[in-house]
Amino acid sequence: MVETGHFALVLAFALSLVQMLVPLVGARTGNQRLMAVGGPVTITGFALTALSFTALASAYAGSDFSVANVWENSHSLQPMIYKITGTWGNHEGSMLLWVLILTFFGALVAVFGNNLPATLKANVLAVQGMIGAAFFLFILTTSNPFIRLNPAPVEGRDLNPVLQDLGLAIHPPLLYLGYVGFSVCFSFSVAALIEGRIDASWARWVRPWTLVAWMFLTGGIAMGSYWAYYELGWGGFWFWDPVENASFMPWLAGTALLHSAIVMEKRSALKIWTLLLAILTFSLSLLGTFLVRSGVLTSVHAFATDPARGVFILCILTLFIGGSLALFALRASSLTAGGLFHPISREGALVLNNLFLTTATATVLVGTLYPLALEALTGGKISVGAPFFDLTFGPLMLPLLAIVPFGPLLAWKRGDVIAASQRLMAAFALALAAMLVTGLFMDGASVFAALGVGLAVWLVAGALTDLAVKSGAGSVAPAVMLRRFAGLPRSVFGTALAHLGLGLTLLGIVGTLCFGTERILTMRPGETVELSGHTLRFEGLFPQKGPNFTEDRARFLLIGADGNANGEISSAKRFFQARQMATTESGIRTLGLSQLYLSLGDEGNDGSVVVRLWWKPLVTLIWGGALVMMAGAAMSLADRRLRVGAPARRRKPAAALTSPT
Amino acid sequence: MLFWVIAAILTLGASLAVLLPLTGGMKGASAPGDHDLEVYRDQLSELDRDVARGLIQPGEAEEARAEIGRRILRLGAAERPASASASSSRGIRLVASLAVLAVPLLSWGLYGVLGSPDLPSQPLAERLAKNPADSSVDELVARAEAHLAANPSDGKGWDVLAPIYLRLQRFPDAITAYRNAIRLDGDSAVRQAGLGEAIASAAGGIVSADAQNAFEAALKLDPANAKANFYLGVGLAQEGRKDEAVAAWQKMLGQLPPDSPWRSAVQQALAEAGQPAVAASGPDAQQMEAAQQMSPQDRQAMIETMVAGLDDKLKQNPRDEEGWMRLIRSYAVLGKPDQAREALGRAVAAFGADSEQAKKFTAFAASLGVTATE
Repeated sequence: MVETGHFALVLAFALSLVQMLVPLVGARTGNQRLMAVGGPVTITGFALTALSFTALASAYAGSDFSVANVWENSHSLQPMIYKITGTWGNHEGSMLLWVLILTFFGALVAVFGNNLPATLKANVLAVQGMIGAAFFLFILTTSNPFIRLNPAPVEGRDLNPVLQDLGLAIHPPLLYLGYVGFSVCFSFSVAALIEGRIDASWARWVRPWTLVAWMFLTGGIAMGSYWAYYELGWGGFWFWDPVENASFMPWLAGTALLHSAIVMEKRSALKIWTLLLAILTFSLSLLGTFLVRSGVLTSVHAFATDPARGVFILCILTLFIGGSLALFALRASSLTAGGLFHPISREGALVLNNLFLTTATATVLVGTLYPLALEALTGGKISVGAPFFDLTFGPLMLPLLAIVPFGPLLAWKRGDVIAASQRLMAAFALALAAMLVTGLFMDGASVFAALGVGLAVWLVAGALTDLAVKSGAGSVAPAVMLRRFAGLPRSVFGTALAHLGLGLTLLGIVGTLCFGTERILTMRPGETVELSGHTLRFEGLFPQKGPNFTEDRARFLLIGADGNANGEISSAKRFFQARQMATTESGIRTLGLSQLYLSLGDEGNDGSVVVRLWWKPLVTLIWGGALVMMAGAAMSLADRRLRVGAPARRRKPAAALTSPT
Repeated sequence: MLFWVIAAILTLGASLAVLLPLTGGMKGASAPGDHDLEVYRDQLSELDRDVARGLIQPGEAEEARAEIGRRILRLGAAERPASASASSSRGIRLVASLAVLAVPLLSWGLYGVLGSPDLPSQPLAERLAKNPADSSVDELVARAEAHLAANPSDGKGWDVLAPIYLRLQRFPDAITAYRNAIRLDGDSAVRQAGLGEAIASAAGGIVSADAQNAFEAALKLDPANAKANFYLGVGLAQEGRKDEAVAAWQKMLGQLPPDSPWRSAVQQALAEAGQPAVAASGPDAQQMEAAQQMSPQDRQAMIETMVAGLDDKLKQNPRDEEGWMRLIRSYAVLGKPDQAREALGRAVAAFGADSEQAKKFTAFAASLGVTATE
């Protein structure tokens, strides 16, 4: 089975070479047969990669230590879920997951792309094939997960204890779905550049892919943030760690792409800019992969530090980013520009959004790469952390967030700011009230906190206003309004939900940062501590044994106002035998939208233990907001408009059904 | 075998994925313009809906409609001539055949370099379930460990596993195993002595107080336990009580049966302690007894005879590493540095000056204060 997986991987590499060359030649020469090769080859390549991945996963599940990769990253005593997630909890396996998703998206294009112009489809698949071939070659030559050991050891070295968590099952797959999803947008862009023309349906094809990738990337980043929050035991949810930035940059650029693709789709404007953004977004995804995988950055994520890999990824990076940008420079001038619009219009608002987002991306890029460049040039080590980003990224985000509610309310081509403002009066009043209440009645609220809460409420109320205005609130009878509301296109709900989610996330961040409290103290069993109105009693430390670790679990009882215990929080320090490593399991109890967070420090000799305790008001909104954003993206994906552009499956647009007037 | 069949089937499938589209019939392809036209039509109808919902002003909508109309007109003008798919010239046939050939050639070639086709999968459960006779020591140990993890109170299991751990140099595991065996199956001299050895080995050979306690417990149960006696002697020597150690070892030599494996260890220890040791092939119990009754001069003579015998044996059979070291040490201990040096020279010559053994001899001799003459 293992060798079958290895062979399937090699075969998939061979097919990816065919996929990158034959359809390309076909598209150049206009040969239908050569172009037709792209589809079946892509689908077969995906099937083979899936077979290969399954073989590796089953080697992990069955603790086959004759596979070096399994031996290095697994242990027979691990629970089954961590045995399986361990498949991608290491460099080689995660790269295999990367290409698996790449070929999966390629296969999707092949299957659902029947209504694409033949040459466009052939070129897109060819570009996907190029990316695939580069990564297959990378895996086979520098990071082969199928290297065998003979004789096989009888016990593995265990998975890194920090990764033995449910987060590993969710975070990397989501993140990779996001990263790699942008490869399709990239392929469409490069295909358009190769052809030298952009089909009108181009944006209709690129937008759903952008939505899918953006949705998964949002989920992946949020999940990663929550994972770091509860696993690392520092109580923080975002550290401006270079690896986090590496995933955040494609997200920012992807968000910009999402918005510019709307303009392009609706109005055929901003074509060239959208093309460039798609290239940049995937380039940033590649850069993220490079930063994390090459070992340039030392962090939890860099489970591999091998210069050969770094150089290889650098070559891939140079080839794809340099190549696509060179192609862009060569061909962009021959592409025709699209529709016209006034500065104050929906298009204008989206351009402004793009300006802010790309500038923010550049800021994060500088903050992430500058220390690396400095170290390479002068050898000096500096760390660029929260203060830098607070001063640069923050001021860029504030005006952007302030104008978000205006965008959806402006008309296409020529908008009316005054009218939009009038419609937003209620939302503005609500935000102002929230600011005043926060500033005047909350203890310890700073000006910044009041502003933040106001801005968050402004976003949420603005999103709701958008829905209300579009259903005709105030001008028609409630019954009509309800019917109109039900008949709104899904993409309108998508926009509103995504903007609402943004507001919720902001509210969570402001709530946690400005109203959170923290205590560090030494506790003995039986002692109680009070934090922001919650009383905890320390019950003591209890040793326990897990499948592959031992732990000291500290139990705390949450004491209610009546003196009775109404809940338990427990935090533990785990020790993993195989790797001789200790981890801290934080104790978290969710109360409403807020959380009580507890983490253990050093133990004293007398049964006392250092306890760090945080009260994090509204903290769950940070990730809850991200879930709402994902829901918005999913809603937009369901919009019928995205399925147009297909002469083969032509249908009269069911305008009467979807849009009552 | 099965693997090659699967590999062949996979290759066939992959090749067909390339081949079939190349030989298949042509589908009536739609001109790219059709797609664009559809999109423009939809944009027009969407414009109407947007006007109805007030998302665009009627004036602007007219402009937009004109824009789209212009695009549709341009579409008709720029309609590309249907590409000559009859251009399936030789070049294209070449590309096609190359592509079909590349898949099997490349995959089998690359796999031949990278793969290990002869190595079967070895899931742990399967390895632990197969016939013990076919298992490696490691697998047997793993199987015993799995058994003991399920039945931790099986004293006999620990008792069997403990000496194996010791031999595999997994000393901490050996300590745990011996302790468990003692706790569950009771004390015995062998177990206590084994525990002592494990503790000492884990500490790099230092006989600590813990180890000493274990050895003494063993001697309480069996005063003649050779392992315990020997290590207690080592402990004495490590404490600097060399005379007591030598006495203990010599007492052992008197008591040990002639075929005891401990004999050579004791003799080596004695030699290292600076006491005349006798070549392993040399004295048996009777000779030793005789030596003890002899006068010092006679004893010296007897030892010298034995050394000379060893020397002769090495002249006939010079590739005896152990023998050479014994000889060098014997001469050094007997206070004959010249002969020791000469023995070193011969030993080095026997294995070649650049050999591993030569370096070992030189180092060993240097530790005895013997240096090669130039």
